[in-house]
Amino acid sequence: MLDNSEMFESTAFYDPNSIITQQMLNIDHQNYSNFNIENQQQINWNTNTNNHGNNNCLTSQTPSPDLLNLFQLPKCSSSISFSNPTHIDQVSGQVMYDPLLPLNNLLPQPPFFKELMNSLPNGFNLMGCGSVFGEMDMDRGDHDQMYHEGDAVLEFGGGIIKNRDGHGNKDTKHFATEKHRRQQLNGKFDALKNLVPNPTKADRASIVGDAIEYINELKRTVEELKILVDRKRCIRGRMKRHKTEDDSTLDVESIYTRSNAVGGGGDTSHDQQAYNGNSTSTMRSSWLQRKSKNTEIDVRIIDDEVTIKLVQQKRINCLLLVSKVLDELQLDLHHVAGGLIGDFYSYLFNTKICEGSSVYASAIANRLIEVVDKQYATNLVTSSY
Amino acid sequence: MAGYSNLFDDMSSVVDETNSNRICRNRKHRRNDDDDYDDNGNDGKFKSKNLTAERRRREKLKSRMLELRSVVPNITNLNKETIITDAIDYIKELRISVTNLSNQLLDMEAEMANEPSFEMIQIRPEENMKNWGIESEVVVTRMEENKLWVKIVFEKKLGGFTKLIEAIIRMLGAELVDTNVTTTKGAVLVTSCIMGTNGKILVAEKVQEIILDTIEAIKLE
Repeated sequence: MLDNSEMFESTAFYDPNSIITQQMLNIDHQNYSNFNIENQQQINWNTNTNNHGNNNCLTSQTPSPDLLNLFQLPKCSSSISFSNPTHIDQVSGQVMYDPLLPLNNLLPQPPFFKELMNSLPNGFNLMGCGSVFGEMDMDRGDHDQMYHEGDAVLEFGGGIIKNRDGHGNKDTKHFATEKHRRQQLNGKFDALKNLVPNPTKADRASIVGDAIEYINELKRTVEELKILVDRKRCIRGRMKRHKTEDDSTLDVESIYTRSNAVGGGGDTSHDQQAYNGNSTSTMRSSWLQRKSKNTEIDVRIIDDEVTIKLVQQKRINCLLLVSKVLDELQLDLHHVAGGLIGDFYSYLFNTKICEGSSVYASAIANRLIEVVDKQYATNLVTSSY
Repeated sequence: MAGYSNLFDDMSSVVDETNSNRICRNRKHRRNDDDDYDDNGNDGKFKSKNLTAERRRREKLKSRMLELRSVVPNITNLNKETIITDAIDYIKELRISVTNLSNQLLDMEAEMANEPSFEMIQIRPEENMKNWGIESEVVVTRMEENKLWVKIVFEKKLGGFTKLIEAIIRMLGAELVDTNVTTTKGAVLVTSCIMGTNGKILVAEKVQEIILDTIEAIKLE
């Protein structure tokens, strides 16, 4: 049984201010100072510690009125009569006399404290708050009994906490998984951002928007490639068939007319249908846009015509570069228009795909961006001399 | 202790960076309330000044997520996380497709290039150009002190335009400002302003001479 008189003797031990201060400090010193606890009125620790002498709550009727009122203790005047130890025994279930009472009552009240408690790792909540009392133990070595008392306090405090937010012990575990879940989600958004080639803004809505555009672009590219592969396959089939014929020029058109002329033969007609269905009647269309730090490229392909719009942000004359790339990709230049606009070079190229070439939109765009950026990089290096 | 500082870090990383300040402000507003606050933020006492903006932002993100969901062939639960996960997987899948198909295309092309009977159609421009009575020409006019205007007509050939540009830039040391190129009937028309780079003054006769030589060379290819 607890020897209450012993407890009440040393005011130092019983100083709720220091205990609370310590608890506060232990829990989260640095963040606590950030909290706006005005709704608690100004808790002036200094004055409280100064009132230490006055907080002889053991014997006074209303111990440390400033502090306890600040903490809005429940009105339980009977239990605050420290002068009556026996009374305390009776109300051992209640902990009004307990120095930690202010702490218990304090914690639930400010909303942020609920979060505070939630944020504590699993072992460190009021429920199993061994460490809190443990520290007290360490400081007040000889008060094991107080520790036991602390358990009762804990339960009571736990009760308060439970009623307050309705989740009780599970809340802390829930919060840890909640945090983990959020971190995972953020990681996924970042992964998505890294996959997409033209990241514009880094906020979630933009990431998703860019992802949608990229998916559509990829779908178009796949479609385009499928058409090209089909065409190639047909041409290859034709070639194999007409290898016997001594023909030097073998273009798409002549293949088509020749196969028409041959006619007959189940094999041929089947291929012919396939040829019709896939290549000539299917008009290939594809477009995409690419942006790099100082270049914007827009490539559109309809059938065999490629339109390229290029805007260069720095003063590099890319006309020659682009022209070379177009030659490399076997694109026949039909029209070019453009020039210097302010600090930008802007050009529009109309080209035609040479027959037999199976270049596709993203290949063109990627190659152009690569070349122009490389030139820009080398220009930077040389101009720094 | 450490847990609590993480709390605030997390809260701000959950919302997007531009809004993180607003969220912190909102939380301060919340704390000033004495009443319970609704965790969903649906509480009427939510005194955020940016409530409408915040709501709009959420709606925007939500609608985009729906759009993403419609584009991706989802086979799992349709909540935020799985949409993103599925989108990531789908993008990876599409990229692999593209790589495979383009490799296939390259292989087929390589295969066919080995076939001796495969040749590409060559353009025969000179016949066309002459048929239409188009003559090659070079006109050079001085506009300003160091700006010349040039008009060039020449035969269209693969790589011909590149040669011309290269000549103008390298040999003349000039820069093409405002260029127009058009092709018809096997001929190419180039009109452009050219300026000497680094303040170099271009001599009109010299320019004309060099360009004429270049288009001759193109023709002879």
